[in-house]
Amino acid sequence: MNRNARKWWRAHKQRVQQQAVPSHTPLHKELAENEQQLRALYDNCSDVVFRSFRIGGSTRALVVYIDGLTNTEELERNVLSVLMKTKMPKDSAIGKLLDNVVSVSQTNELATFEDCLESVANGFPTLLIDQQECALSFGLAKWEKRPVEEPMAEGVVRGPREGFTESIQVNMALIRRIIKTPALKMEQMQIGGYTKTKVVLAYIDGIVDMDLVTEARARLNRIDIDGVLESGYIEELIEDHPASPFPQILSTERPDVTCGNLLEGRIAIIVDGTPFVMIAPATLFSLLQSSEDYYQRSIVSSAIRWLRFLFTGISFLLPSLYVALITFHQEMVPTSLLISMAASREAVPFPALVEALLMEVTFEALREAGVRLPKQIGAAISIVGALVIGQASVQAGLVSAPMVIVVAITGIASFMIPHYIAGLAIRLLRIPMMFLAGSLGLLGIMLGIIVTVIHLSTIRSLGVPYLTPIGPMKFAEWKDTLVRAPWWMMNARPHLTGDYQKIRQGANQKPGPEKGGDPA
Amino acid sequence: MGRLLEQGKISSSQMSKMLFLVIVASTVISVPSLTGKYAQNDLWLSPILASLIGFLTVFIVFSLNRLYPQQTVIQYSPDIIGKVPGKIFGLLLLFFYLHITGLIVRNYAEFIMGNFLPQTPISIVIFTMIAVCVYGVKAGIETIGRTAQVFFFFFLFPLILMPFLLRDMHLDFVFPMFEHGLLPALKGAIIPQAYFSEMFLMSFLLPYVTDPEKGMRAGMLATLGVAVVLTGVNIFILLVFGRQSSDYLYPVMAAFRYISIADFIENLDSVVMTVWILGMYVKISVFYYATVLGTSQWLELSDYRPIVIPIGMLIAAISFWSMPNINAPVISFPFYSPLMQTICPLLLLGVAYLRKKGKRQSQAQTAAASGSVHSEKQEG
Repeated sequence: MNRNARKWWRAHKQRVQQQAVPSHTPLHKELAENEQQLRALYDNCSDVVFRSFRIGGSTRALVVYIDGLTNTEELERNVLSVLMKTKMPKDSAIGKLLDNVVSVSQTNELATFEDCLESVANGFPTLLIDQQECALSFGLAKWEKRPVEEPMAEGVVRGPREGFTESIQVNMALIRRIIKTPALKMEQMQIGGYTKTKVVLAYIDGIVDMDLVTEARARLNRIDIDGVLESGYIEELIEDHPASPFPQILSTERPDVTCGNLLEGRIAIIVDGTPFVMIAPATLFSLLQSSEDYYQRSIVSSAIRWLRFLFTGISFLLPSLYVALITFHQEMVPTSLLISMAASREAVPFPALVEALLMEVTFEALREAGVRLPKQIGAAISIVGALVIGQASVQAGLVSAPMVIVVAITGIASFMIPHYIAGLAIRLLRIPMMFLAGSLGLLGIMLGIIVTVIHLSTIRSLGVPYLTPIGPMKFAEWKDTLVRAPWWMMNARPHLTGDYQKIRQGANQKPGPEKGGDPA
Repeated sequence: MGRLLEQGKISSSQMSKMLFLVIVASTVISVPSLTGKYAQNDLWLSPILASLIGFLTVFIVFSLNRLYPQQTVIQYSPDIIGKVPGKIFGLLLLFFYLHITGLIVRNYAEFIMGNFLPQTPISIVIFTMIAVCVYGVKAGIETIGRTAQVFFFFFLFPLILMPFLLRDMHLDFVFPMFEHGLLPALKGAIIPQAYFSEMFLMSFLLPYVTDPEKGMRAGMLATLGVAVVLTGVNIFILLVFGRQSSDYLYPVMAAFRYISIADFIENLDSVVMTVWILGMYVKISVFYYATVLGTSQWLELSDYRPIVIPIGMLIAAISFWSMPNINAPVISFPFYSPLMQTICPLLLLGVAYLRKKGKRQSQAQTAAASGSVHSEKQEG
């Protein structure tokens, strides 16, 4: 961005602020003045309702709220009707009115126009009274919300079925319902010049390294953007290596995953308006873990983890290995297999690299189309897809049957990665790997792997190296990375960075026959 | 203390894995045949004898580092033998490393071409590897350390496959032991000891180790690890090929070609090659890094990154011109390498000790002299 643009942006921001908010202007004593100001600000805003009335038939008052964001029934029953019938106390203390008359649980006293605007925008009806220098806001916000449903992208067989929703209050409540200690802190801030999106930084005091919280808070406060529509906006503005394809912040739809990470000393960033909560710091291996690993038997989970590592490797390398073997290293394929592969490739006019690229790109396109298409057409696409990348293309002699198998296995393998975004990085890197394999064979694949590992070992996520616990090596953490040790073995928390509470549970909890029955 | 060119830090265990890969990567492929030429069926003993040079080098480097912590050899040699001779020695050392790195790259390229990509131009093989190493070296020592840690495990993987060769092993190939005395084994040790003296690279790494007091242990462990692996590989090659070991240019590759599991898992030499490329990457990038870091310290630059690519080009050029082909006898290397990396540092260490002793004596003398003059004052 050049200097002029920057200057313009700064001036523009000032202008907007001056126009929009008479910032920190205290409220007038005269109701008429206040009303005029507010009506001027909410000029042409048809959704804002101004309702004038008299308290006890004498003192003039005004309620401002936004239609559709406020529970009008409650407002009528507990505020308007009560106030109209009562008498304004002589000593004119607004507090007394609150104590004795209004039966709303959450109320707030506001002193400036800015506060009034914020409270109205959040759906709180705001009451202004003549001859009073402060206004009242009532916690009667109510709008249409999606109910808590099963997460779309992170399903489990065993484990809670609740997923986050778009409402930040609901999301915070879902976390608080699991972690009940007051040590769970939720710091709220507003990001976005126009959207004024609520962002909450959650952590468990006493477990988390406070330097991590300070760093995250500083990065969040640094953000200067006009709107936040999804947590991705914030992720891009606070991550360490913007140019990397690998996600350095984990996002999840599941409250149990969030809580598990909070208990391991990570921080969570909850953004209003999205069901995706961000968790940092993340490592490569945390992206390859599923919450279900911790709910199933540890031996089974360990085996599934290994399967997942294997298929992550397949998803990354299988097409390029196939290309390298077919193009350069035929001698490595067992003879009988080589003969059948050669037979099926006989009619194919393309070199292996072109064949692989053709199929991979088609498959990725089908997959992407499947996400975008309306549900009714989805079935049609899957039939067409099965024909295109399956039977028909082989019969037409465009691709060989082994290639179809390779692409299919690769496609399945990429669904084994529990976090969709991590899968995307690997899907993306597959293409350059295929070019390397097509030009230098196995050597090219190895060079590609080396470059990927170099890249992975330069990345950090909020100060934690991305390849922990392999490089730098932390042997104690292998039991929750390469395998999933049973809970009675995982007495120490994983070490992220800085000081933290090391021990998470009592020692010697291994169950066994000697523990049952009488302690005699 | 000089300004640190490198901000990153590595741990002593990362350093020992880097050094292990540096030495094993180039020796494991060809050393059995090189030692077998002289040691015949005593070739298993040669790496053990050769490792003595490694232990000695580690000891020298560590002692020098204790005298000049946070400095590399390029920085402390002017302090030890005077500014001009020290700079000249530094320059010689840098030329040595530049030359050796070029030789390593050439060896790597010859191996790849000889075994896997016979029709690919050698320049492509060399340039791709140097490009990858440029990326690694620019990322800094931290990254090289971590990649070494990751690749270390992969590198050990082919060892698991060795038992599948039990069928082809003949224990009687070991005998007769010491048919001509110890001399053949000693002769066989001449080439591996040149590789063991590469432990001197520790001098460039120790200033960036977070726990340098463990440096000695890490270096010794790396040397021991190399000795164990090389001895193991030599025994295994000896048991498979006997006295023919030296007939193969790359006996390890030949041995792995013998493996056949259920007539399906075959041609495992390619597994060895892929893993070996990982080791070679670590080896080249550590040498490359030492050259770049040393050069920037010699020139007293404030950052080493600008000279990474120019030095990479020099390495590529040297790798083209340093030898006509892989079979050209590299007679000088077994003497050249320990001369620069073990004997010269040993002399440096000797001079440093003498100077320190002399300094302490002269200090003691001056202290005593000044003490006698000022003693009354101090007492008063």
